[in-house]
Amino acid sequence: MTLLAVLSHLNRADGSATYTHNGYAIIGAVNGPIEVQRRDEMPEEATVEVNIRLAVGIGSPKERHLESLVHNTLRSIILTRSIPRTLVQITLQVTSLPEEEAASGVDSACTLLPHLLHTALLALLSASIPLSTALTSVVIAVPASASSKAGTTMLSPTAKELLRAKPIRATHVFAFSGNRKLLLSQSMGVFAYDEWGEACEMAEDVCCRDEGGVGLGEDMEVKGGQGNLEEWLRSVVQKKVEMEQRWRVAT
Amino acid sequence: MPREAEVSVNEREFIYQALQENIRLDGRALDVFRPLELTFGDEYGVADVQLGKTRVIARISADVTAPLPERKFDGIFQIITEFSPMASPAFEVGRPTDAEVILSRILEKAIRRSNALDTESLCIIAGLKCFALRADVHIVDHDGGLIDASCIAVMAALQHFRRPDVIVEGEKATILSAREREPIPLSILHQPLCVTFSYYEDGDIFLVDANLAEEQVRQGEVIVTMNRHGEVCQVAKYGGATVDPLALLNCTNVALEKVKELSKYIQNRLEEDAKKKDAGGLMAELSAENDR
Repeated sequence: MTLLAVLSHLNRADGSATYTHNGYAIIGAVNGPIEVQRRDEMPEEATVEVNIRLAVGIGSPKERHLESLVHNTLRSIILTRSIPRTLVQITLQVTSLPEEEAASGVDSACTLLPHLLHTALLALLSASIPLSTALTSVVIAVPASASSKAGTTMLSPTAKELLRAKPIRATHVFAFSGNRKLLLSQSMGVFAYDEWGEACEMAEDVCCRDEGGVGLGEDMEVKGGQGNLEEWLRSVVQKKVEMEQRWRVAT
Repeated sequence: MPREAEVSVNEREFIYQALQENIRLDGRALDVFRPLELTFGDEYGVADVQLGKTRVIARISADVTAPLPERKFDGIFQIITEFSPMASPAFEVGRPTDAEVILSRILEKAIRRSNALDTESLCIIAGLKCFALRADVHIVDHDGGLIDASCIAVMAALQHFRRPDVIVEGEKATILSAREREPIPLSILHQPLCVTFSYYEDGDIFLVDANLAEEQVRQGEVIVTMNRHGEVCQVAKYGGATVDPLALLNCTNVALEKVKELSKYIQNRLEEDAKKKDAGGLMAELSAENDR
């Protein structure tokens, strides 16, 4: 699994991030706080605007739906009340999708959503927009055939894995805040409430930092080749800050 | 959606004064391009152009549709340029600015109407099926010179793109995937590139490849599109400055020199990329391309 992120690489935007993961590549840019148009202005809060642009073709209702999901999730972590009557403009440009994406038969709204959220968060951090907490998100897929070896739930599957495990019965997307609070739960397909609960717990394990110790982190390394998402997020930002603070450390 | 911050009077004067002394803010000579960088994606038909601080990504994709009823033997080729707030907060989604309209019009004239791409080769079955090619131009970072950068990006992406091969049996056409047969490059007739000249001091001084600050204080611009054989595809002039007709001839001479440099660079990069993709040295054997 290759999670890669580059921060603040665009000159014009206030904050930017490029995020690459399993064939998904997204460029995120944030402008803010900037002047807001009169009709969107809110007296006690900042306006958040999210634009999602596809690699190929112009936006459709599907993108509008994704935009509203990302918008509502981010609004809950941006401290909109501390920058009232301004605009925070978030643009997410998808630059490439995995080849198997279209054939996997899973709605791309679900598979793309965690990546969009991560990109947006990194861009927001890069633009120094006041946030109440960080956010991590993961997609979980449940294949229909329980008999096959892939009958178990799949954690953050790649497009190839999804194609192989076809047909998929249900997909869930969860987003958690830094203090282990559920921010977003988007599910599609057929599933029982118990299954949803299980998936939710599984996602929480991957998303949130384990306060107990090292045990879980190592365990995950063996299973998915991936540490904790929150830790990864922290390390990306930490590296960037260290890089920027070299002049201070050197003296 | 705030307006683009205008250059202040002092800054404007400063740029003018420097230009009169033949100095540009970034230390370039008056007729020099910013450093150009061109990278290709893993997929075919993705070109990422960086011209100084300007960055443009062009992406070509192909689809199969029915051709237009009045053009039965031609495929469809479209260039889509839509600015996003990523490049500048002044760009609003769904409301094209003048710059956007001019960009799409120039690209249309320079690439589509100059027949850079042989659309007839995109036809599969006359009147029934053809390839619809579409070039999406994404402006990622905006620091002037969008027209030049986009033109380079689209042309490079077109040359990099490979379309799937087809087998036609009577009225039935089968599209072969990349696994079944190696995709074929497009038939490109010539490579037009744009060079923008910015005019100052009522046409006395001109600059090649102005950056955003220089673009904002210019009085007029002349866009010359030509290919490396010296054939002029189009000349467009915007803005109020008067330009001497003889000066235009000079422009085409300068443009030819620049276009030759640029095409050579693009060609080099394409060859490097082809070499990288041709890992086992089997490409020549696999190729399903017919000689023109």
